[in-house]
Amino acid sequence: MAEKQDVKQGTLALMILRTLEVLGPLHGYGVARRIEETSKNRLTLNYGTLYPALLKLEQEGFVTAEWRQSENNRRAKYYALTAAGRKQLARETREWHATADLIAAFLAPRRESP
Amino acid sequence: MRHVRAALARIAGVFTKHRADDDLRDELQAHLDMEITENIRRGLHPDVARRQALLASGGLTMAAEAVRDRRGLPWIESVAADMTYALRALRHSPAFTAVVVITLALGIGANTAIFSAVRGVLLKPLPHRDGDRLVYLRQSTDGPGGANVSFSVPEVRDFRNGAKSLGGIAEYSEWSHTLQSDNDAVRIDAGLVTGNFFAVMGLSPVLGRLTLPSDDGPGVPPVVVLTHEFWMKRFAGDSNIVGTQLRLDGASVTVIGVVQPAPFFPSRVDALLNMVVSPHHLSAQMVEARVHRMTEVIARLAPGASIEQARTEVAAVYARMQGEHKDAYDPGSHHRVAVIPFKDALGERARLTLWLLMGAAAFVMIISAASVANLTLMRGVRREHELVVRAALGAGARRLRRLLLVENLALTLMGATLGVMIAIGGVGLLTSLAARYSPRSNEIRLDVAALAFTLALSVAVALLLSFVASLPKEGTFASISAGGRRTTGSLRKHRLQRTLVVARIAVSVVLLAGAGLLTRTMIQLSEVSTGLRTEEVLTMPLSLLDPTRLSPEVDAANKALYDRMQREISALPGVIEVGLGSTMPLRGSSINFDVKVEGKALAAGQAVPQADFRTASPEYFRAAGIPLLKGREFSTTDLPGSARVAIINQTLADNFFAGEDPLGKRIAFTGEVLRFTPISGDWRTIVGVTGNTQDGGPDAGPRAVVFMPFAQEMAMLGGLVIRADSNVSALAAASTRTVRRIVPTVPIENVLTLAQIKDQSVAPRRLTAALIALFGILAVIIAAVGIAGVLAFSVSARTNEIGIRMSLGADRGTVQWMILREGGVLLAGGLAFGMVGAFFAARVIRGLLFGVAPHDPTTFIGVAVMMAAVGIVACWIPALRAARIDPAITMRSS
Repeated sequence: MAEKQDVKQGTLALMILRTLEVLGPLHGYGVARRIEETSKNRLTLNYGTLYPALLKLEQEGFVTAEWRQSENNRRAKYYALTAAGRKQLARETREWHATADLIAAFLAPRRESP
Repeated sequence: MRHVRAALARIAGVFTKHRADDDLRDELQAHLDMEITENIRRGLHPDVARRQALLASGGLTMAAEAVRDRRGLPWIESVAADMTYALRALRHSPAFTAVVVITLALGIGANTAIFSAVRGVLLKPLPHRDGDRLVYLRQSTDGPGGANVSFSVPEVRDFRNGAKSLGGIAEYSEWSHTLQSDNDAVRIDAGLVTGNFFAVMGLSPVLGRLTLPSDDGPGVPPVVVLTHEFWMKRFAGDSNIVGTQLRLDGASVTVIGVVQPAPFFPSRVDALLNMVVSPHHLSAQMVEARVHRMTEVIARLAPGASIEQARTEVAAVYARMQGEHKDAYDPGSHHRVAVIPFKDALGERARLTLWLLMGAAAFVMIISAASVANLTLMRGVRREHELVVRAALGAGARRLRRLLLVENLALTLMGATLGVMIAIGGVGLLTSLAARYSPRSNEIRLDVAALAFTLALSVAVALLLSFVASLPKEGTFASISAGGRRTTGSLRKHRLQRTLVVARIAVSVVLLAGAGLLTRTMIQLSEVSTGLRTEEVLTMPLSLLDPTRLSPEVDAANKALYDRMQREISALPGVIEVGLGSTMPLRGSSINFDVKVEGKALAAGQAVPQADFRTASPEYFRAAGIPLLKGREFSTTDLPGSARVAIINQTLADNFFAGEDPLGKRIAFTGEVLRFTPISGDWRTIVGVTGNTQDGGPDAGPRAVVFMPFAQEMAMLGGLVIRADSNVSALAAASTRTVRRIVPTVPIENVLTLAQIKDQSVAPRRLTAALIALFGILAVIIAAVGIAGVLAFSVSARTNEIGIRMSLGADRGTVQWMILREGGVLLAGGLAFGMVGAFFAARVIRGLLFGVAPHDPTTFIGVAVMMAAVGIVACWIPALRAARIDPAITMRSS
């Protein structure tokens, strides 16, 4: 089994927003499961990490929260992406790609200059 | 945008705490339930499923705490919690709180009030544009009245031509006018100024215009600029005042403007006029005579010039002047010129007194802060257990320190609030004190700067108090496992407490010594004999002369009026004697001249002797109670046509006629200045010698005086001296009515008894002495309570030890002696330091003392004895308590 790691600072918000974009409105448990599954269980997400992040997104106006009945008839708080959240996701995705390209270029095996 | 939104959400979070907490609990629980369900679905036993879910969660409570930190404003919330806690804790110890708050309020109140006075009079930048570039020029000579002889117009002209570092020179002379209106007449203090005066001073009009160079010289219309203060007071800030005519001494003068509020020097004025109002100021004497000195000089430093450059240049120009005009600078008088920053000149008379008060207030602050520090230290020891428990439960040192800081801030801010209330009362008192010393007293205000000072002081004290207390180390369990029993407190803390007690005693001694010296000064001053037989005399200075019209006809008419007043007041019931004279008894004469005695030459290099000029009617000496030592009083036959006679005082007789009989000798006024006056330099025969009187205040030096018959000299000044059989002040109203009927348009002011004049001259010093004494007494009380408190605390901390000692055979006397000795050491230390401090403090205030040496042994011994007595009593109380300790009870309780 791969070694479990804590989620990197600053990436969690992006993961949550992306999850909500893909799956639609979802409760905290669902978000956590999805992130863990997508990471092939390399990430663990405890409540103390997840919920402050969700609250921060809510405070910033990128998600809204609402109590609803879940699929198995349980009450749960559902988070949904707002328009601002969608824009933020697009922006952060772009920035992340740019950063990733840069880092990749940096870390690429060195080619001898002619 | 998103940050603003987040911040707003967090602020909102502070207020929706409870609902959100329930919400969060439900949410986390739902999460957990879903996880358990999932685990069971995967085939785990329910118990195992639950345990695994809990493990994965990472702790529900910690998660909730993490969310909560994110939700509201944790820092502010916890400070608010600390504040609530601190206030609750303070409410539980009301006695402690009250003592601390009152102690701090006294210190903070005194400091706030005195700081606002010091700032208003000494520190605040001048309202003049670039006020720090203004300098005041002062010419002085040796001898009485020589501190500031001012300048003559030719001297000013030389400075203007020679000293290029002075960018502009404004001339100013004081002039007193009578302002007449339809229903009254008041005396106003005015300044005659050159047209460039306001430009040099850097002042702007709030209304109309100010004087300009085109207002100089003869043949221009007379104009007046009102000061802001006088415009508000007399004309209620009338915005249509510009262009109106004022009647000043019978002449009509146009108001051209109102100047911004600003201090004037040497004293406050009501109005400023151009020179044309006074023909004398345009006369050849004024403009050409080098010794005709009556002009004050304020200059503005030229751009780029420093005050040192100005000093050098002025000194050079002055030396050249002295070389070229030897007759105008008598070498024996040591003429000299000083260039003083205008701001310093404005504050110079108030400086020593105000800094003295500020120093005393700072001492009171030190004492009250030290005393509060001691109280909090003692309270800290009692709270040690609480703090240890908090530390053990995970409160970090910073958190505990903050708790203490918040608590101390609450205390000091309460003290500051009460202190500001005290200061509001104090500022009024200080303004009236400062008005005696400085034209800037009306700038004293409890303004933002003063309140900022108060706040800074409070925060500083709070910080200090929070850092003298020591905190338990983080995670200390030792004290708790020891059963939480209070131990004697750390040695460090104890030493600190003792140091504070010694400091307080020392500071008290310094304050007491200062108070003692000033009080003795007051006693000495009040014991100075006025030289008069009685003080039950009413004085009524009354100037009938229009200074612009000096003619024998006017003078004769004025004298007739004075005679009529004298006759009619003499007829009032109860009046024994009414005299006429130029100057009221106990008031210094503003007129003095060089004098010479027939047949006596001056030794080479000897300063030319001077004497005050006064006039008196035959009744004056009896009415004022001035004792006649030799010869006769003036008689009704000493008239303008008859032989010229004079009466001299004892000082003059001693100076000129040591071992001789002055009667029959001849004396005359002399010197250049005499030419500008209507007083003749004729020889006058001495017919009498009077005793010396303390003219100009009890600490004024002896002055030589020549009296002339009122009838033989022009009445440039005048007034009535009224003596009655009883309660002379009751006569004031009737006399004023009589005079008003005779001269309805002459202002009648300063109708005072001699007792009142005497009192007036010492009142400001009495107030200073009383304030310092008050501070001193306050300090002693706080110090005494402090020493008793520390010893009492020491006794209660050592109860166990004392119990053991007693059960081992120490008797009560030994125990009592032990505690007394402990206090005695502190007292002796404080006294020693205090005496050294007082020694230096006394040298600083030397200038304020009279009749008592700065190191007056009586005062110092008295202070030491008093402090020791109070200290010993303060030690005795805890010592007695220690002796009453019952060893059996003590041993059992431990």
